[in-house]
Amino acid sequence: MKNSLPSLQLLLIGVDSYLPGILLSTDTSQVDFYSRIYLHPCYKMKTNTVISLMSLMSIWMWTGEGQIFQPELTSNAFLAKVTSNTVILKQPYCVFNQPCPGCEIWLVAGLCSANGTFDALVNSSTTNILSLSPYPTAFNPSSNNFFLTRVGLLSDFPCNQYPNDRYFVVGADGICSGVNCNGVLPDGSTVCFKYLLIDANRTLINSSNWSGNITLPKLLPLQTIYDGLSARSGAMVVITTILCVAAALLLLLFLIMLCVTCCRPTKKDSKQISVMNSIRIPRYDTHNLKERVHPYDNPAYQSDLKNYSTSSTLPKNGARKL
Amino acid sequence: MGAGALTCLMFVVVALNAIAAAAGLALFAVAIWVAVDGYKLYPISGVSGKDDIFAAAWIAIFTGFAFFLTCIFGIFAALKRSRALMMVYLIIMFIIFLFECASAITAATNRDYLVGNSNLVKKQMLQYYGQDSIQGKQITQTWNRVMEQVECCGADSPEDWILYNSTFKQIYPTYNWPLSCCKRLSSFELQDPAGCKVGLTSTLFTKGCFNYIESVLSRYTWAVSWYGFSVLMLVFFTLVIAMIYFMQLE
Repeated sequence: MKNSLPSLQLLLIGVDSYLPGILLSTDTSQVDFYSRIYLHPCYKMKTNTVISLMSLMSIWMWTGEGQIFQPELTSNAFLAKVTSNTVILKQPYCVFNQPCPGCEIWLVAGLCSANGTFDALVNSSTTNILSLSPYPTAFNPSSNNFFLTRVGLLSDFPCNQYPNDRYFVVGADGICSGVNCNGVLPDGSTVCFKYLLIDANRTLINSSNWSGNITLPKLLPLQTIYDGLSARSGAMVVITTILCVAAALLLLLFLIMLCVTCCRPTKKDSKQISVMNSIRIPRYDTHNLKERVHPYDNPAYQSDLKNYSTSSTLPKNGARKL
Repeated sequence: MGAGALTCLMFVVVALNAIAAAAGLALFAVAIWVAVDGYKLYPISGVSGKDDIFAAAWIAIFTGFAFFLTCIFGIFAALKRSRALMMVYLIIMFIIFLFECASAITAATNRDYLVGNSNLVKKQMLQYYGQDSIQGKQITQTWNRVMEQVECCGADSPEDWILYNSTFKQIYPTYNWPLSCCKRLSSFELQDPAGCKVGLTSTLFTKGCFNYIESVLSRYTWAVSWYGFSVLMLVFFTLVIAMIYFMQLE
């Protein structure tokens, strides 16, 4: 909810003059304000005035130029706006509009469960609140679960400027060891923030509201990423099956071919030309006419003798046509 | 079979062997291109032990060249009309066929393990980027080069660095992501260091690098696998014709 701060304070003073019973408190929470009006015995007498004042105030509330009274996340679209241990907030322009020379704005950052703890400690203790909970031990199991860190001088955040792109990184110092250093938040926790106005003597002047709950995402460990096989692509299945089938088919054809060629049945003999290796030609002069010409050889068979008796006339390969 | 038909079959065998020889030589060349790894992405597959795409490329180098030589021998055997030579040719071609099958199947299968989805690449990046081991240095160098040249950050997006714990986060806890994710000027200086650190989207690269890595490794795989497959189909057809020719001999 956006308030117009100067007008609220004016209204407080104005109402106070009509209803003297109301105590002006430094706690400017609206619930307290309303309850004090409604429960006061003078309420009924000044109802009309109060109602008109309230309507005026509500109009002021909704037409305010956007002054914040609590820490807010930056409106920029940063990718690291909320990480597991850092948060990026808007800079505290126009949060505290009172004149306060030398004052500084400090930030309380801690688990949302420690909001009450901090408020109680601030109200009760009078010691230096800045060293209430040093950062190095702030988030130990039995510690206060908050820490304070300096944002800047009040004069650096005047109300007449309102740059929306300025930001402040909570956790920018990493894991640091100073009492009030800007260290990282616990991983994955729910955190709340509050601005404090601290003067030069280190006393608390004013404080803003608590911000809304900001839940930090938990950091996922590497081992949660499952890097096994996700799915088989269609191309791989096609290639594998077709190649396996082709190889098997090839082997099969190869074996069939070997069987066919090596174990060929004898009916194939007609393709081959059998070699005649000896022809018996009757010789009638074996016993008595060896040295001379043999007159009893029939000259009609001379050409046949040449054809079938010497190797030069025998056919060499089966494919040559005779 | 008549002499004319047999001669025709011989010419078919010779022609197919010539084409297969050329295809085998081209496979040899393509496999050399894959093995040389011009995109220098070998560490991404080598560090996780799944570098079978490159192993398949090496096998394809040898089988491609062997196809080339054996097909030339096959041309010679077909012209000589020799049964013995054709038998030798068929046996050798069958053995090379089996090896090339292995290469194509290995490359296609291994690609699915590596870049089926971005998980393996992301986990490897988170684990090894910035680590001081040999694998860490290789991965760091590879990712820096990819992020700067391709203008991307992380595996799916820069949020990978924020969502998951990583070696980089342990070593540099104040940085959300490496400086290679940031846009740079032409003088190689960072355009906006503070903006990049908080994640101002105009000062850093917001797309993920996985698409690029997946496309390169897929390109390697399909070069070895699909082209090897097509060469094998041609060789299958050639061998069937050669077997028929063998049966018609003598």
